[in-house]
Amino acid sequence: MSAEMVDTGKTTETVVRFTLPQRIEHVILIISFNVLAFTGLPQKYFYTAWAERIIVLLGGIERVRTIHRFFAVVLILEALYHAGAVVAARLAGRERGDMGVAFGDVRNILGDIAYLVGLRATKPAFGRYDYRQKFEYWAVVWGTIIMAATGLIMWVPEVVTRWLPGVIVPAARVAHGGEALLAILAVIIWHFYNAHFRPDIFPMDPAMWTGRMDLQRLEHDHRTEYERLTQLTQPAQLTQLPAPAEPHQPEASPPGEQ
Amino acid sequence: MPVRQIGRSPDGRTRGPSYSGERVQQVRFVRFVPLILAAAAVILLAGGPAGAQNSDNEACLACHTAPGMNLTLPSTEVVSVTIDPKRFAASPHGKALTCATCHPANVEIPHPALTVNTLREFQKQATAVCQTCHADRAEQFSQSVHGRAVRMGFDDVPLCTSCHNPHDAARVTSGAYRNNIPQMCGTCHAAARIIEKYGLRPVYESYSQEFHGVTTTLYKLTTPAGPAPAAVCTDCHGEHDIRAASDPASRVNQANLLTTCRQCHPTAGQYFAAAWTEHKTPGPGAAPLVWYVQIFYSVLIPSVVGFLIVLTVLDLSRWATDRLRGTRP
Repeated sequence: MSAEMVDTGKTTETVVRFTLPQRIEHVILIISFNVLAFTGLPQKYFYTAWAERIIVLLGGIERVRTIHRFFAVVLILEALYHAGAVVAARLAGRERGDMGVAFGDVRNILGDIAYLVGLRATKPAFGRYDYRQKFEYWAVVWGTIIMAATGLIMWVPEVVTRWLPGVIVPAARVAHGGEALLAILAVIIWHFYNAHFRPDIFPMDPAMWTGRMDLQRLEHDHRTEYERLTQLTQPAQLTQLPAPAEPHQPEASPPGEQ
Repeated sequence: MPVRQIGRSPDGRTRGPSYSGERVQQVRFVRFVPLILAAAAVILLAGGPAGAQNSDNEACLACHTAPGMNLTLPSTEVVSVTIDPKRFAASPHGKALTCATCHPANVEIPHPALTVNTLREFQKQATAVCQTCHADRAEQFSQSVHGRAVRMGFDDVPLCTSCHNPHDAARVTSGAYRNNIPQMCGTCHAAARIIEKYGLRPVYESYSQEFHGVTTTLYKLTTPAGPAPAAVCTDCHGEHDIRAASDPASRVNQANLLTTCRQCHPTAGQYFAAAWTEHKTPGPGAAPLVWYVQIFYSVLIPSVVGFLIVLTVLDLSRWATDRLRGTRP
């Protein structure tokens, strides 16, 4: 594969997108999210035949709830770690990439829609993370906060109602189910499309797996970030490591695409 | 209504009126003549007071263990008269009583004709028999909302045998019985005819959708005989002494509700009782916060999902257009 790339003259120079700890965080998120969805949906749609089959398969509702709560704790711990890592990086002045949402993102959304409908010839110049990725990131932050808060309310309603009105317990149940459905649909539609099914990256965006992205793709998809990096240093110096050993673009998207 | 014993149509309506002159039928009586003769022989041979009790029951059970033995009442309602001898023997009634204790008229074979025309009359007769021993329960029941309705002459109200099978009296202590209590109460409290007639609230439907009801339903999937850990109707409302929630003596009266919750939730905080939405559908007047959250998500989910779908379709169509034009390799 690598030889073919050289033959086609395509660069194999890459830039770091995600550190190893970040990629491990992502794997923990994948596992906990999927288990929580798999054990939570049958509880939301308890009246369906498929929900009954899943609950029987897992050994009964009490075990389903135990599994659900175990992975809820895993996800909460991961979220706390993440928040700690962000704060620590800020305090140490280390760069983590800008997830901040600003007016420029609104302009980028409108610009991208204009590009997609054919009103402009080029994509807007996105930063290190484009608005799609920022949307996903903040959706996970918002979703995790809502799910953790409402889940804990349902876990220990006896304690919560020492200080808070009882009606928040059934309200938390509704919010937990609604937010879960929203998160699952967002992942299926948005994340799966942008990270897996987009024709130019199918079957998956390798960045979260290898931690790296082709410079060429960075220039195309994140031009502002590309320009920022090239101003900082020469392109040749951007890549601290050789290209990853594993092929990052399997047969489905042959070399020369983009 | 007694699910096990009656021949009512599924909606709980009694079938059409009896036609005049029809007598109580002893169905398939002829077929059991040899058995009855054998039973009579057993009675004659088993003399002596010690064996009298068991042998009396055996004589009855010689016939009444045959599956599918039914009495058809003049009203065309059907009463099963098949007894499971093992379950009967294992119950307090089987240990202490003989058949004749409760069915004194039926010691003769053939049995005298029944004096009732309808299932309701049959149940009332049975209830009178129960009360001879269970006076305490009968007194509780008469104070209850159901007992009051009986005195007011409403014939839909449950009587003893609506919930209890006297030939399997131990069943009420089983997990399977507990798990079925919502359905048992739902025989009336989920029946449209009865809800409409008495102006009842759809309590069964709301229970089956809130946390306790969901847990009970799902728990039964894998553990049908184990007692469900979540509350069923009787845990909050009581059993023979069920009272209207407006009654100050009711366990579910606002003044007593938190105490009732703390039976299962001993550490429940002071506002815990309001976590229970009282079988009400959330709305502006009942648990409004729940209603607002429902509205919030019913707007948020379609909006976000719709927006994401539109962007995805636009992205795909731009890609396809570029491919068609040849501007994208």
